[in-house]
Amino acid sequence: MKDVAVLGVGMHRFGMWSDVSNATMAREAGMAALRDAGLSFRDVHAAYVGHIFAPVMAGVRVMKEFGLTGIPVQHIENASATGSAAFREACLAVAASHYDIVMVLGFDKMTTMIQQSTAGTAPESMEDAILPAAFFALWATRRMHERGMKPEHLARIAAKNFNNGALNPMSQRQADKPVTVEKVLGARMLSWPLTTMMSCPIGDGAACAIIGRADLAKKLRPDRPVVRVTASNLQSEKYARGHLFMGPVVGPPQMTIDASKAVYEEAGVGPEDVDLVQVHDAFAIEELEYYELLGLCKKGEAEACIERGDFELGGRVPVSTDGGLIARGHPGGPTGLAQIWDTTLQLRGEAGKRQVDGARIGLCHMMGGGSVCVIHILQRD
Amino acid sequence: MTTPARRRVPIKVGYFTIPDDPTAPPKLLGTKCNSCGEHYFPRRAICARAECLSEDTSDVEMGPRGTLYSYTFVHFPLFGSMNMEHMEGYGVGQVDLPEGPRVQLPLAGKQGDFRIGQTLQAELDTLREDGGNDLVIVRFRPVEEGR
Repeated sequence: MKDVAVLGVGMHRFGMWSDVSNATMAREAGMAALRDAGLSFRDVHAAYVGHIFAPVMAGVRVMKEFGLTGIPVQHIENASATGSAAFREACLAVAASHYDIVMVLGFDKMTTMIQQSTAGTAPESMEDAILPAAFFALWATRRMHERGMKPEHLARIAAKNFNNGALNPMSQRQADKPVTVEKVLGARMLSWPLTTMMSCPIGDGAACAIIGRADLAKKLRPDRPVVRVTASNLQSEKYARGHLFMGPVVGPPQMTIDASKAVYEEAGVGPEDVDLVQVHDAFAIEELEYYELLGLCKKGEAEACIERGDFELGGRVPVSTDGGLIARGHPGGPTGLAQIWDTTLQLRGEAGKRQVDGARIGLCHMMGGGSVCVIHILQRD
Repeated sequence: MTTPARRRVPIKVGYFTIPDDPTAPPKLLGTKCNSCGEHYFPRRAICARAECLSEDTSDVEMGPRGTLYSYTFVHFPLFGSMNMEHMEGYGVGQVDLPEGPRVQLPLAGKQGDFRIGQTLQAELDTLREDGGNDLVIVRFRPVEEGR
């Protein structure tokens, strides 16, 4: 992808904000991103808005919070990958010279969604028996069988993400003291071997990125490095024998392999060049599998790398630097944009206590149920 | 005959058979591609293989036996079930059918009953009474060794 840059980023902290409206959270995130970019809403040429649980029209209506300027507003939905998919469409539009400056806004309120969904009790289909936790637990059981993984490896990933989240003011879960492997293992069992602390919480929140022509980034904020979007890829499922059609949350591992190969090729970098990574760690077993699928380590070596601390802050290639879905949270629509938020700050050197030293290349990976895989590579000049 | 058994109705029509004989195992309702031979569960109209995409497909019955690929035990009651057996939680597995498809369904039994590679057989499991009928879902149960 040529000449597309992240001009600004902003967030409303993820959390259980049952008394804060989507409009309020979205306005705060959006205004923070505009201020960060050094722009006014009158400079924005188009907006891509993502939410999963809010009702029809919510995207267009929430955008009126910023002013009624008549710009094109498009709504993008792709389950958990909604924010990432909206970001991709904005980047493609700028790369194609349709617009110079675009707002990408994601918001959601899962607390409201839960209240509404408990009204009905009748199962709608055969698939209601398969909770997301159960689906990913099946990955974990298979991994234990094939590779000798232990629940301790998953606990170490979760503890890392909790402790990273404690360094991120926008993180939903803020542990008051360092989280240990023992604490994660001792949490309530959801679906063996996954405990509640190995899984992401529900929550509310908003996140925003302003995307634009790369030359504008330098003009608007000459005081800091330009963060470019150098590659974007989205894959849906490809059929192979053994494909699960009913009950799975996300599709076969090959999606992440294919999407990552495509972005590495487009950006002209390899996994060994990447300084930090965000992944769809809705459950700790996912993060473990993505280490290998993204090429951050060889097949079968994830457990050894975890034991060495390769993916912790200060390690070989830190993963989920902002706490990941497990700690920072996963409200839905804004999640992929929270990854862009932290990666952008990291590449500018503005990530505070969780800063990865000298970070130049970041990768953001999201899965969306159904399913799709979306990956972006961001690079600082 | 004393109390006649309640009629069994599926939680969702079109996924599994309900045999007249209450002791007979159900079969899974799938599709076979007549062009390339690939089998699918659940049913679909068009072959999913990128190299094929044929519309020439037929309904088939699959199972009732399969091989356990992976399993877990969920520590929540089974959604929509009034069956006491499901209150403490329930197993979930991925099962490879001899015809090719991998299916993901509830398992009968406890955590310690499951072993990757073991043979399982489909059975009907009652979730609750529904309008005078038994509402049933299909699940797999480990087959005892040597049977």
